[in-house]
Amino acid sequence: MFYRLAGVHHTRYEQARALWPVPADRWQVLVIALLALAAPFYLSDLYLGSYMLPWLIWSAGALALTLLMGMAGQLHFGFAAVMAIGAYSSIHLARLGIPFELTLVGAGLVSAVIGSLFGAAALRVKGLYLVMATLAMQYLVDWVIINVPAISGGAQATLRTPAVSFLFVPLESLTARYYLALAWVALSAVFFLNVKRTSFGRALVAIRDKDFAAAVIGVDPFRYKLMAFFTSSFMGGVTGAILAFCYYRAVTPEQFSFNVSIQLVAMVLVGGLGSVVGGFLGAGFVLLIPIMLTNFVAGLAASGWLAVSSNLLSHLPLMIYGALIIGFLLFEPLGLAKIYDNIRKYFLVWPFRHARS
Amino acid sequence: MQLEDIRTAAESAALHPNWREGDHLLALLAKNAGERPNEVAMRERDHGIWQEYSWADYLDIVVSFAAGLEEAGVTAHDLVAVIGDNRPNLYFAMLGAICLRAVPSPAYPDVPPEELAGQLRREGIRVAVAEDQEQVDKLLLARRSHPDLQLIVYDDPRGLSGKDQPEGTVSFETLLERGRARLKREPGLKDDLLSRPSVHDVAILLHSSGTTGVPKGVPLKHGHLISGVRNAAAAGYFRQGEVHMAYLPIAWVGDFTFSVAAALELRFVVNIPEAQETALHDMREIAPTLYFCSPRAWSAMLTRIQVGIAETTRFKRWLYDRFMPFAVEMERARLDGRQPGALQKLRYALGSFLIYGPIKDHLGLSRVERAYTAGEAIGEDVFLFFRALGLNLRQFYGQTENCALAVAQSPDDISLTSVGRPFPGVEVKIDDSGEILLRGDNIFDGYYKDPEATAKALRGGWLHTGDAGQFDDDGQLVVLGRVSEVMHTASGTRYIPTYLENRLKFSQFVKDVCVVGSGRDFLSAIVCIDLQATGQWAQENGVAYTSYAELSQSPAIYDLVQGIIARLNAALPSGLAISRFVNLHKEFDPDDGEVTRTRKLRRDVIDERYRRIIEATYTGDREIEFEAQIAYETGQTGVITRKLTIRTLGEGA
Repeated sequence: MFYRLAGVHHTRYEQARALWPVPADRWQVLVIALLALAAPFYLSDLYLGSYMLPWLIWSAGALALTLLMGMAGQLHFGFAAVMAIGAYSSIHLARLGIPFELTLVGAGLVSAVIGSLFGAAALRVKGLYLVMATLAMQYLVDWVIINVPAISGGAQATLRTPAVSFLFVPLESLTARYYLALAWVALSAVFFLNVKRTSFGRALVAIRDKDFAAAVIGVDPFRYKLMAFFTSSFMGGVTGAILAFCYYRAVTPEQFSFNVSIQLVAMVLVGGLGSVVGGFLGAGFVLLIPIMLTNFVAGLAASGWLAVSSNLLSHLPLMIYGALIIGFLLFEPLGLAKIYDNIRKYFLVWPFRHARS
Repeated sequence: MQLEDIRTAAESAALHPNWREGDHLLALLAKNAGERPNEVAMRERDHGIWQEYSWADYLDIVVSFAAGLEEAGVTAHDLVAVIGDNRPNLYFAMLGAICLRAVPSPAYPDVPPEELAGQLRREGIRVAVAEDQEQVDKLLLARRSHPDLQLIVYDDPRGLSGKDQPEGTVSFETLLERGRARLKREPGLKDDLLSRPSVHDVAILLHSSGTTGVPKGVPLKHGHLISGVRNAAAAGYFRQGEVHMAYLPIAWVGDFTFSVAAALELRFVVNIPEAQETALHDMREIAPTLYFCSPRAWSAMLTRIQVGIAETTRFKRWLYDRFMPFAVEMERARLDGRQPGALQKLRYALGSFLIYGPIKDHLGLSRVERAYTAGEAIGEDVFLFFRALGLNLRQFYGQTENCALAVAQSPDDISLTSVGRPFPGVEVKIDDSGEILLRGDNIFDGYYKDPEATAKALRGGWLHTGDAGQFDDDGQLVVLGRVSEVMHTASGTRYIPTYLENRLKFSQFVKDVCVVGSGRDFLSAIVCIDLQATGQWAQENGVAYTSYAELSQSPAIYDLVQGIIARLNAALPSGLAISRFVNLHKEFDPDDGEVTRTRKLRRDVIDERYRRIIEATYTGDREIEFEAQIAYETGQTGVITRKLTIRTLGEGA
């Protein structure tokens, strides 16, 4: 119905491989980009600061993780630790007086190096064993951060982020912080989309599907697994730094605990492995649905539609939330991205059922 | 062999005073290349992407190829066979030959080797241009019986280049390189080549499909083609800069006029699909603005849509059922002269967004502004459906002899039965025998080496088309069928049974019908209903029946058939109407010899077997008892007595 394909033809292969060859998709991207850019003008500070901003940053985190889990097929249950390394490195680097632009890169590099070290385990182990190895990283990093005062300032300490400016714009106002987060998530998304069409991306997919088969066709699993960990951890580290500077503004070790790692994995799985749309939808689902459910249930109770004990009331949103996750994964195991894709295809072949009848 | 027997240039000049010297296809090409060197002239889909040729490339390749071809020994008035699917290089090769004043003679790509050999022999062809290995093999086979074939130029080198290259073959690319080298050596050659052709030169030798015997060669001159195209453009048939799909065979007259003559005169972008099988898919990628296909192809397209809708999801089908029949009815009313109201227009606009637009998009028809069909009658359903989608589908009429450009419907003057009015510059009249005669600058000057046929076709300066026709009350031309099929009623009114029968058979309820009336006062019809469609209708309308015979005699079915015939009568000119009809108790059956295996009526058998019924329709009886002969599969014959109703039109049940 909305998708019109007649007249879309390519005179070069580069054109045929474009990110959005269908005009309707380009329009969609444009509209979403404009909405995101104009968000500070039509959203209240509450919505911008407590919904949009964390959603964007966590989407970037989910994208970083889905590069590793969705594309390269390497499970990672300690991604919060990677982000923690980025967050703490950036604060310490900024305190040393290094410009914030370089601080971000530095934070990414520190995360990438440490992440790759643990990732090296992936060269020997797969599946559940890799989960164990990455869990070990989570706990090890947590322990180091808590117990080394030079990093965290002590077990109970809270590190405030110093005042910095990005490209001469002080990161003080909410709007400035929002735009930095938006820029980073947009950069991550574009990077991810482009990785998919490079030889690097195809090598990752080959390793995901079967690493020794990939080795047979000339993809070096050692190199590419390490590169996957490096790239993904770099993105995770920068996201951690952005999270610290743009959203939390004061960092404690609990903010990057094991729970957070599980939430990140949930974002990736619910959203759909290896998909950009899935990263955004998954982060949105995991972050925003509980809030919305709580508000909804509280609203119902307040208006007298829901006469249950206050004890049950506080648990009800969680129960519905759990049921929703199970429901979605039963309904479409490939995640929200696949649901989006199904809807898109429904309209793409409109009014027929298949592409070619 | 040369084309000297056609006519000399002086004679041609006397025959066509309106033609201007120097107004030829190559001059048009040079003009386009000079004015718009970088504009796209042609696209070919190759390995999934569209390779583009600008007008400058076009001219360069044509001239270089001409130079190479001349070096290979082609001279003026030589005939050059061209065989293969639509390929840019084949078009370039044809124009290259034309540049040397040689005459391309295209052949259909699926022609069998014997027929191809026949064409080569008849036309004394020494040089052939072939698309690929398949066609080269065919030519090599033909060369055994026609050793004069000295050179075969091939376009696609797959399976032909290297050390297995057959003797006497050369690739298009090689010839092109030689030509380029020659152009570099001889600086004045390009202008010389471009100045050689004349408007009075034969540009192409096409072949009219002879229903009997060998096909006749139809030489068309530059002047014929160009004036034909200009007449058509003046009538709004083509516009400047159309996007055109060249997917019909290059040996068909329409392809040469559309993809070469009109494309050069009006600077079309000609798009060539990757292969015949991908033509529909590739068309969607291009979305042409001008589209022609045969009624059969339109009908096949409609079937594809219907199949797609039948298996689509329930909601989409529901929407389709809401909007499509509505649009068809609206279009029918519009053709009857009733304008839709504001509410209907609103509903149509909604339908355009939901249904019509997406369907057109899927077919690649969303940008088509000029859609045409010709060749035979188009079914009302098909015609209305595509018009209802918002395509301005129009019919035209033409033959090889007049560059396929003679008569067409104008955009706002559409009717199902007529083919429209002649283009400016073309005169049409109907002679006493009912034959359509045409005159104009686009009418050819005579068949190739067939003075007898020429004299027969071009009597008194008019082209005798062999088609029977008439003008309707609006002054639009109606093509009825071949003159040889015309019959007369007692009052002398002409009619063509197959024309009437085919129109009745457009209804799904009528399987076969035989119209009689030769030498009678009026026409009557013997109708065989279609058991499946009529049975379905009977079920839906609560008509009980047990057998074909019983169903056929049911008054409700008589009413149904009467309605169909009455609709046809309304579209017929006055004095010609089917007044009475009878529903036969059985279908015409090839086993009984009433129809051929391809379901063509055998009128003599029907006249003989159903003489009593036919007589009864003319005596005014309302019923006849008929003893039907039945041949069982065992070979025995039996007799069943049936009572058949005879219905007079305009009379109730």
